[in-house]
Amino acid sequence: MTSTACFIIASRNDIPIYEAEVGSAAKREDAAQLHQFILHAALDIVQDLAWTTSAMFLKAIDRFNDLVVTTRSRNRNKGKAPTIKVDFLTNPPVTQSLTLEHGIKSFFQEVHELYIKILLNPLYLPGSRITSSHFDTKVRALARKYL
Amino acid sequence: MANYLAQFQTIKSACPCMIVAVEDVSDIWPTVKSSFEQRLPFKKACLNNKTRNPVFLENLRAEFVLTTDARLRSRFPQEQYLFWFREPYATLVLATCEDLDEFKNILKPRLKVFAQNDEREWFIVFVSRAHPSNDQATKMAKKVYAKFEADFSSKKRERCCKFDIYGPEPNFWEELEFRIIESVKNTLDRRIQFYEDEIRKLSEQRFMPIWNFCNFFILKESLAFMFEIAQLHEDALREYDELELCYLETVNMGGIYREFGGLDRGDDQAALLNPGKKSLTQIVLDETFREFEFRQYLFACQSKSMLPFCMREVWVITACLALIDATGTKYNGEDEAPEIVKEFYRVQGDLYSLCRTKLLRLAYLIGYGTEIERSPVNSASLSMLPWPRPAVWPSVPDEASSEMLQQESPRARHFGLQRKPLPLEPTVLVREANRRRTSFSVGNASEIFYAGRIDDGLASNESSKQSPADKVQAIMMSRTYSSPGNFDCSIGRRPMRLAEIFVAAEYALKKTISNPDLQKILLSVESFEQKYMELTKGAADSYHHSWWKRYGVVLDGEIAAVCFKRGNFDLAAKSYEKVCALYAGERWEDLLAEVLPNLAECQKSLDDLAGYLTSCVRLLSLDKGLFSAKERQVFQSEVVSHAHSEMAHHVHLDVSSLITFSGNPGPPMALCDGDPGTLSVTVWSGFPDDITLDSISLTLMATYNADEGGKLRNLSATCLKPGRNPITFPLPPQKPGSYVLGVLTGHVGHLTFRSHSFSKGGPADSDDFMSYEKPTRPILKVFKPRPLADLSAAISSALLINETQWVGIIAQPLKYSLKGAVLHIETGPGLMIEESHSIEMESYRNSAQGSTDTANSGDAAKDCSPAANKHFEKLCLVNGKIDFPEWASDVSSILWIPIRAIDDKLARGSSSGGPDRQSVVDRMRTLALKLEFGISKNQIYERQSITLHFSDPFHVTTRIVDQCNDDMLLLQVTLHSQLNATLSVYDVCLDLQAGFIHAGKGNGRPISGSFPLVISPTSKVGLLFRLCSKKRSAEDENKVPPENILNIRYGISGDRTIGAHPPLAMKSNETGDTGRGLSFRSTLILQQPILNPCLAVGFLPLPSDCFRVGQLVTIKWRVERLKDNEEKRVPQNNDEMLYEINVNSDKWMLAGRKRGHVSLAMKQGSRIVISILCMPLVAGYIHPPRLRLPDVNEANISCRPAGCHMVCVLPPAPSSSFCISA
Repeated sequence: MTSTACFIIASRNDIPIYEAEVGSAAKREDAAQLHQFILHAALDIVQDLAWTTSAMFLKAIDRFNDLVVTTRSRNRNKGKAPTIKVDFLTNPPVTQSLTLEHGIKSFFQEVHELYIKILLNPLYLPGSRITSSHFDTKVRALARKYL
Repeated sequence: MANYLAQFQTIKSACPCMIVAVEDVSDIWPTVKSSFEQRLPFKKACLNNKTRNPVFLENLRAEFVLTTDARLRSRFPQEQYLFWFREPYATLVLATCEDLDEFKNILKPRLKVFAQNDEREWFIVFVSRAHPSNDQATKMAKKVYAKFEADFSSKKRERCCKFDIYGPEPNFWEELEFRIIESVKNTLDRRIQFYEDEIRKLSEQRFMPIWNFCNFFILKESLAFMFEIAQLHEDALREYDELELCYLETVNMGGIYREFGGLDRGDDQAALLNPGKKSLTQIVLDETFREFEFRQYLFACQSKSMLPFCMREVWVITACLALIDATGTKYNGEDEAPEIVKEFYRVQGDLYSLCRTKLLRLAYLIGYGTEIERSPVNSASLSMLPWPRPAVWPSVPDEASSEMLQQESPRARHFGLQRKPLPLEPTVLVREANRRRTSFSVGNASEIFYAGRIDDGLASNESSKQSPADKVQAIMMSRTYSSPGNFDCSIGRRPMRLAEIFVAAEYALKKTISNPDLQKILLSVESFEQKYMELTKGAADSYHHSWWKRYGVVLDGEIAAVCFKRGNFDLAAKSYEKVCALYAGERWEDLLAEVLPNLAECQKSLDDLAGYLTSCVRLLSLDKGLFSAKERQVFQSEVVSHAHSEMAHHVHLDVSSLITFSGNPGPPMALCDGDPGTLSVTVWSGFPDDITLDSISLTLMATYNADEGGKLRNLSATCLKPGRNPITFPLPPQKPGSYVLGVLTGHVGHLTFRSHSFSKGGPADSDDFMSYEKPTRPILKVFKPRPLADLSAAISSALLINETQWVGIIAQPLKYSLKGAVLHIETGPGLMIEESHSIEMESYRNSAQGSTDTANSGDAAKDCSPAANKHFEKLCLVNGKIDFPEWASDVSSILWIPIRAIDDKLARGSSSGGPDRQSVVDRMRTLALKLEFGISKNQIYERQSITLHFSDPFHVTTRIVDQCNDDMLLLQVTLHSQLNATLSVYDVCLDLQAGFIHAGKGNGRPISGSFPLVISPTSKVGLLFRLCSKKRSAEDENKVPPENILNIRYGISGDRTIGAHPPLAMKSNETGDTGRGLSFRSTLILQQPILNPCLAVGFLPLPSDCFRVGQLVTIKWRVERLKDNEEKRVPQNNDEMLYEINVNSDKWMLAGRKRGHVSLAMKQGSRIVISILCMPLVAGYIHPPRLRLPDVNEANISCRPAGCHMVCVLPPAPSSSFCISA
């Protein structure tokens, strides 16, 4: 199955701190801008939605033609503004959409653990861009595994 | 049953509300009709919904219809079941009767018929026509009604009520309403049950061949409609949803032929709210469904209870516009909760943006593509939206072949940005159109099905309502029916060119569009643009009112694009700024890179130079990957060229994101108060090329007070290379405290740069650090003022006055280098520096000081250790300044300065008794010192005065003793040593003043002469002279000095480190002779004797101790001549001597001469007694009379023995004679 997927971690000020194109399909020339645009617009919805549910995994929150935005937010219960992780996929085949959602959920969970490891690094300034290549490799490996 | 489809719609439209049948048994309806109908609609009602839960309704609409009415008659039973919703929900039997017989015989049998009919919910209204004044009739009526109740009402249910025409009972109407509602409720429950059973039955048979969707549809639809007229809208909606679901399942199973529909004129207009636009028979024809119409029909039915969305180019546009209008006019958000208001605006915004997208798509199709801004939002919405898939793509009409549109050429972007324009199409239109021209398609059903859920994020609320299975169904169906393109068929036909496609599309659209407004919109670019603007504004405004600010801001950007194209740069810039602020604030740089060049262009057009340059800087500070190196260089050259061009105003530019700076790692630089320094700072430049700053300056901020701080300037031109640049700033003296880096400013031409940004010391290319608080690592520490050096006098004891002496000044550095220090010396009055001598300087080590030094610093200890070589140097005083040698910079040193204190006054000796010591202050001298040191002579140690104490070598005191008989005087002279040095007296000589001469040999030497006398410090030595007071000859008188002068020749041996020491000049000459050379002179005061008694006056003893008042007393004085008074002899030729007795006449009474002359022989030893009689007048202690000799000087009188001071006088004795006579 070919799909493009763009994965972005946004910090609590909605600043993207990590971006990755993790899909198997070739990247479209306008994809970066397009994906960013769609994900940025989806932040509005995330903000709306994050307060209506206590779940961290917000499922598919938005669709943009063929693209589905799936979100997981964290830290909501601690009174902080949510740190948002946004995922975004192209053309999920119908029959697999449920398993895919499951996959995304697991993907999010594992990436979250990775993110916590990064956060515990004393040299990492919380909220700054994640530049660790190790993190990047791991995220891509997880993407291959689950998506 | 499908035959009934035709009637179905008319039946539905014919019965808008519930029917209550009226069985008029006694022909009384016309008289009561008006009062009954006044009760409609029912104010309150409670009905059960499908799940048998009570629902409270208001204003339930109903209609009273006579059973004889044509609408209720002549219906076939089957028809009745099918369209049961239109059957009466309650039957009201109107009956009247005036006597019991009539009731029994006529009425009761007729009523029984109703009572037995279980299918109807009935009840009887007994109408009493008895007038209240007619008792007879009233009674009768009551009786009859009682009979009614007995016959028809049961315990379970009351079925009767009584209505008095002439004044109904007050609660009659309530009762009537209750009865009717009760009946309606029962009927409704029963009918729901019936429909449900039927539907279930049909559902079970669904997979059998005989199953007919029409039947199912009618039943389901009937049920839904029944709910609708019972005003149970939620149930109705649910039924319609189920119907839709079932429809989808059915058509996907196959076997039912389906065509798309929408083939008739006017189908492009959304008939969203009008289910009756087409008759159902047209929609469902002989097992065939017209999908478009059917769905539209369903939607219309659903939309009676709710307003969802649907779309399809024109249709969507009109639908959206209709919805916006409908909701907008009905909406007044005054009483709504804020969440609802927000949600409303969000929905409106969605409608607007959906409409906008579709309008863009249409505009693109007819060739307005060049007019559409290729912004991220337009690209995202259009490039992912599939092309319309008509069965046959329209071909160019013959008459339009000449109309050719301009080919699109992308607008040249500012800064010469070479960027691929963002796509506005999912696939290339030419290919799509040519492929679709001959291929056959049922229509883009998938798009329709997706439409409500997928487009533009509209879906979130709707898709959540839909079950996932439903979605799956929808998608599957679309896959099945969208047939692939058939390229084979198009062979042989010339492919259309793009311009032709546009023209063809335009013509086709013109045919399709029936709405005149919409036609007008697509007629010209201007009107399109106007509409586009209107929609964009609407969307933006709505989103701004909702939670979704980002959508609103992004659409503001689209408004800006249009404004920009129209040349309204002001508005455009404002809107673009909003968008840029949004993206920049959240740092979505890819998006920012799209918009920012536009903003820059606007600002340039507006001559907003500051804004333009800011934008350039922001462009430069974006992620490096977003622009090519060449583009970045263009940005920089724009900045630089503008900076050097003629600018009206100075422009301040914040380059915090581009130029960052930080101090060097490590501990902060430490400076003493007042010291300048050099501060080294690392500056990272984000410019792609070298940039030359005319000047660069940096502020320092004090940590203790944000207002305080200094500014460092580096006025020379500085070239910043891309990346890391070390820059040093001269640091003027700062106030004490810690300092952090503040703001970096630089000038390029007329441009002022300013950077607040503090890079953490890491690579400058990641600007994430900006968002964090500046690290408050101090870069500079200026210590509080403390003594850095000390100057003090080496000795505190007195120095020798009037001689050249060394004064030692200790210069002591206090952990601060005295390198290059200069000492200014100024002497106070009465002090001079012997400039002929050079100044000596040597290292100094005090034992006490040394130990503290050792404790403080190891270096100092090493230098000061005894083993360390002692420095010694001779220095010169130039203009009162001394330059310190190199070696003295870190160690304590002592300066020996030759000085001489001058005092012209002769030292005065004092007699041993008197306190006549010379004041110490007279011999104080001051030396003002000023030490300039530090890196740039900035540190100044100033000591206004070092007090030097000078003294004569000796202090001389005298004591004189009279030998009495031979006029010989013995003079003892004591010499007190005043100095902290050993003095040796070699010779003493006393010159006497007039009136005194040396007795004996008279060479002026003391009688006890054993020279040299050695006097140790602070001890004294005595000398004895013998002299007598005698006049000398006249020539001798001229030679003698006016005062007695003691001349002492002495020597001194002392150390300059302790105190007084041999004077300098001698030391330089000859050491052996030094002791003999010094002389000291001091005056001595000798006075001739003052008292010269010639007469002695003695008070002779009184006869008794006590006097009494009134008692006579003789007081006697004896006067004796002690010696001849030669001087007085001339005026007093005779022996007469004047005397006088002084007495207080109040207290004494005198008898005898008070004043007179007595004769006293001139001869020595002659004496006389003067006596006087006197009487005391008052009692007590009183002064006795006193004798005075006015002619004789007091100095020549000696009172010996002295008279008594007071005498005691007793009161008079008591007089007995007086007592007797009495």
